[in-house]
Amino acid sequence: MKCAPFDYVRAATVDDVVTALADADGDGKILAGGQSLVPILALRMARPAVLVDVNRIPGLGGVRPDGAGDGAAVHVGALTRHSALAAQSHHPLLAEAARWIGHTAIRSRGTAGGSIAHADPSAELPVVAVGTGAVVTVSGPGRNRSVSADELFAGALMTSLGEDEMIIGIRFPVPQRWGFAEFARRHGDFALVTAVVAEIGGTVRIALGGVGSVPVRAAAGEQVLATGGTAAEAAAAASAELRPTADMHGSAPFRQAIAAEMIRRALAQARIDR
Amino acid sequence: MKGSVMKGSLGTSVRRKEDQRLVTGHGRYVGDLQLPRMRHVAFQRSPHGHARITGVNAVAALAAGHRVFTGADFAHVVLRAQSALPSYVETDQPVLAHEKVRFAGEPVAAVVAADRYRAEDGLELVEVDYEPLPSTVCAWDPPRESLHAGAPDNVLLERTFDAGSVDDAFAAAAVVVERELVTNRHAGNPMECRVGAALWNASDRKLTFWSGTQVPHIVRNMIAELLDLPEGSVRVIAPDVGGGFGVKAVLYPEDVALCMIAMRMPGTPVKWVEDRVEHLAAATHARDHRYLIKAGFAPDGALMALQADVTCNVGAYSVYPWTAGLEPLMAGGLLSGPYRLDNYRCTVRGVATNTAPSGPYRGVARPASVFAMESVLDAGARELGLSGVEIRRRNLIRPQDIPYKMPSRLVDDSGHYDECLTKALDLLGYDEIRAEQERRRSAGPSGAGEPPIGIGFACYNELTGLGRAASAGPRMPFRTGHDACTVRVNPDGRVTVFSGVTSQGQGLETTMAQIVADGLGVGYDDVEVRTGDTDESLWGFGAFSSRQAVIGGGAAHRTATAVQEKVLALAAGLLEANPADLRIEHGQIGVVGEPKPRISLAEVARVAYLESNRLPEGIEPGLEATRFYDPIRGAFAAGAQVAAIEVHRATGELRILKYVCVEDAGHVMHPQIVDGQIAGSIAQGIGGALYEHLVYDDDGNLSTGTLLDYLMPTSAEVPDLVIGHVSHPAANPLGVRGVGEGGTLGPNAVLAGAVADALGIEITTLPITPATVWTELQ
Repeated sequence: MKCAPFDYVRAATVDDVVTALADADGDGKILAGGQSLVPILALRMARPAVLVDVNRIPGLGGVRPDGAGDGAAVHVGALTRHSALAAQSHHPLLAEAARWIGHTAIRSRGTAGGSIAHADPSAELPVVAVGTGAVVTVSGPGRNRSVSADELFAGALMTSLGEDEMIIGIRFPVPQRWGFAEFARRHGDFALVTAVVAEIGGTVRIALGGVGSVPVRAAAGEQVLATGGTAAEAAAAASAELRPTADMHGSAPFRQAIAAEMIRRALAQARIDR
Repeated sequence: MKGSVMKGSLGTSVRRKEDQRLVTGHGRYVGDLQLPRMRHVAFQRSPHGHARITGVNAVAALAAGHRVFTGADFAHVVLRAQSALPSYVETDQPVLAHEKVRFAGEPVAAVVAADRYRAEDGLELVEVDYEPLPSTVCAWDPPRESLHAGAPDNVLLERTFDAGSVDDAFAAAAVVVERELVTNRHAGNPMECRVGAALWNASDRKLTFWSGTQVPHIVRNMIAELLDLPEGSVRVIAPDVGGGFGVKAVLYPEDVALCMIAMRMPGTPVKWVEDRVEHLAAATHARDHRYLIKAGFAPDGALMALQADVTCNVGAYSVYPWTAGLEPLMAGGLLSGPYRLDNYRCTVRGVATNTAPSGPYRGVARPASVFAMESVLDAGARELGLSGVEIRRRNLIRPQDIPYKMPSRLVDDSGHYDECLTKALDLLGYDEIRAEQERRRSAGPSGAGEPPIGIGFACYNELTGLGRAASAGPRMPFRTGHDACTVRVNPDGRVTVFSGVTSQGQGLETTMAQIVADGLGVGYDDVEVRTGDTDESLWGFGAFSSRQAVIGGGAAHRTATAVQEKVLALAAGLLEANPADLRIEHGQIGVVGEPKPRISLAEVARVAYLESNRLPEGIEPGLEATRFYDPIRGAFAAGAQVAAIEVHRATGELRILKYVCVEDAGHVMHPQIVDGQIAGSIAQGIGGALYEHLVYDDDGNLSTGTLLDYLMPTSAEVPDLVIGHVSHPAANPLGVRGVGEGGTLGPNAVLAGAVADALGIEITTLPITPATVWTELQ
């Protein structure tokens, strides 16, 4: 369980990263917190030719308010550690979600940009990104572009990012009301199911993680709420449209039942429990 | 503390001698060992559960400059676990597999390189060709292809226990319950995985093997035998070891391979540090059992008959040296536990499969067998309208029954089970929790409001400190009933102890120092204990079967007493006094009845070593003794665990509200260590009951190959535990009973019983997961 040989580039700027990734010709990988990447390297399940270490790039960490009122959001720098997300007060939903990530050591190193780019459908931040309609700022050769969370996640551990692109920040709208519920076998595990409820601009959004290859919006559940249904009805409708896959931790019906319960809990936390 | 041997440091939680280094990060583990010219070993492991090896090509690895060893290099040595039991089929385990592989993870080749990274690079250059064979992973499914030529049905051992008249008793029973129960394969998973380093010194033909083993003397004996070396030429050193739990009481093919590699590379130390992926795949597993069990009860709940058919999955090889009989025979020998029973018939068998070998794991088989026994007790109680407490009290072995001959012919010397159970119920607050349970039940419909509460129970008899008459292991060529200890008073009056015990974190340095300090009459701080080096201590079988406090402790006590006798004889000569009138306390020797001591141990020791001119007539120089101890029989440790839980119907989530354990450790030598042993073993038991499960797919691939999928409990999952004691000294020099394993015996039964009590469903398959509970509720 030791990684295969690779070249190591310590980037000083985002441009360095983009250049190094382009030079690697598709065989480069960004090292941020390393909390998912390094175990995969050690198992030799990933063997990039080049690792581009972004940890020394100045100015990529931190959470700052971005907009106010109904348009309130926070900007989260890509190198913001989960522990900093958990400690900030601008975006209580993000803070709550970050507290559910792994353990202290993982939260001290893992980064927001890394978690979003890794695109694990069971991870917390991707669900919050989809649930709040976050927008990701991406830097590539000669340009920056914005990608919505919905467009970013392309499959399990897959994104629409180019091989020479890097996430530099994420803009998370701040919900007026929110709820977060997660079901995991143990404290700190990847979730079997995560439910995020966020009311933004008068619309209640429901997002689920762990029930498919990417975090998903529970459209049927949202529709029930938009048309005056109860929380229980919304949870049932959201759960009924899921097609989760079975694994050793539970059958598809079990995951559906857990999803319904997590939605119910998240709606109750958001006080959307009519 | 009670009793004459409990004075001085014994009975108090003195500061643990090993903690200064262990808790400050200064432990010295084999992984820390750095030697000049040291090279590192990585093993190529089978990707198949069952396959013929059709070719091995190491040309590319050799060309890259690596040393490579394959099965053919070591084919002349095999590990063959021996037992004289009828029906036992001896099988050969290769050092590195050749001809065929029998489980995924079995080592087939080794690469030696400058570091582990390069060694793993080298592994990628070794090509092994396989012709896959059908795998069998479930021991109670028909075998698809036999593993060993000598056992076409894969059965390596079968034995029937038979006592009384089971058929007549069932015919007379008021209620008969019958269940099929399946327990989950899991493993000890010590924090430090397996580790070894070997050095062959060709000039004096000596092999040194540093090993994270629980059993250095057994390892020395077996390595010498396997490699045809004089036993005195093999030195095994187990320095600090980071947990064992039985997994490290085994001699593994990798251990032998390291020694053989070292002998092929004279003067070059070779080291292997196992990683977690290797450990999960190839260190011993345990507890993969099926119980077809039937119990008959009289109307008052009396257990009239017990019949069982127990199949244990022993994995691909008969574990060396304990044999495939380890789990089956323990299951059959102790299935009836602490309950009175005359009519018993139980067939146990060990069946080989294409999975990692099963080996000793803390509690050997009993976490499963206690679950089976307690399950039928609970089922019987429900049918008879009795409570779980009533049916247990009706059947527990009582003090007046002692010595009680169990139907398996083991002799129980305890009988204090009801006392443990009663105290546990008091500590739980049984009546209050029952009232709360009733309040919630009557408060509203299921699924709404507060989750239902359940209470579960387990009573068990943990057989500890086995002497020669009840030796651990099924009729193996060696008997593990004794240990040795050497106590040396140095010329300055301080004491060095060379003990045969070994420690994997459980504080044996401290315990042995306490025993010698009190037994000899010196201060705890003046005693140093050395363990784990076969060149230093004479003999010890090591850590297993909760044996060391009883046996190693007994040896330490006997030896300290023998040294004290010589000290007093020498002092008596110097003082012209009668030795019987002298006493030694805290290193000062005085005459009974006098307020002031007459002479210090330091002065006596100085005479013994440096001033032979002062030696009394007839007394030899030196102050040292070596003694063995064998308790002949074992000491049963009574235990009871009870817990209250709540379960969420919507998710199957289980929360432990309160968990109580009461055990009889006899005299408690170090309360903190004893409670730590009980707490740690319960934590492992909870892991097995709720989380840990090694799952193979039908092709023999391990689906739970990392700690992402193999879930171990963390401090967040283990509740605060309430630990109570009863104290009935055993008939051994220190009056102690082992406490190393008992805690693991309860949680399966307690938590399964509590879920049943809360929800009215029966748990027949472990582990108890949210998914299984939820599914059972639908």
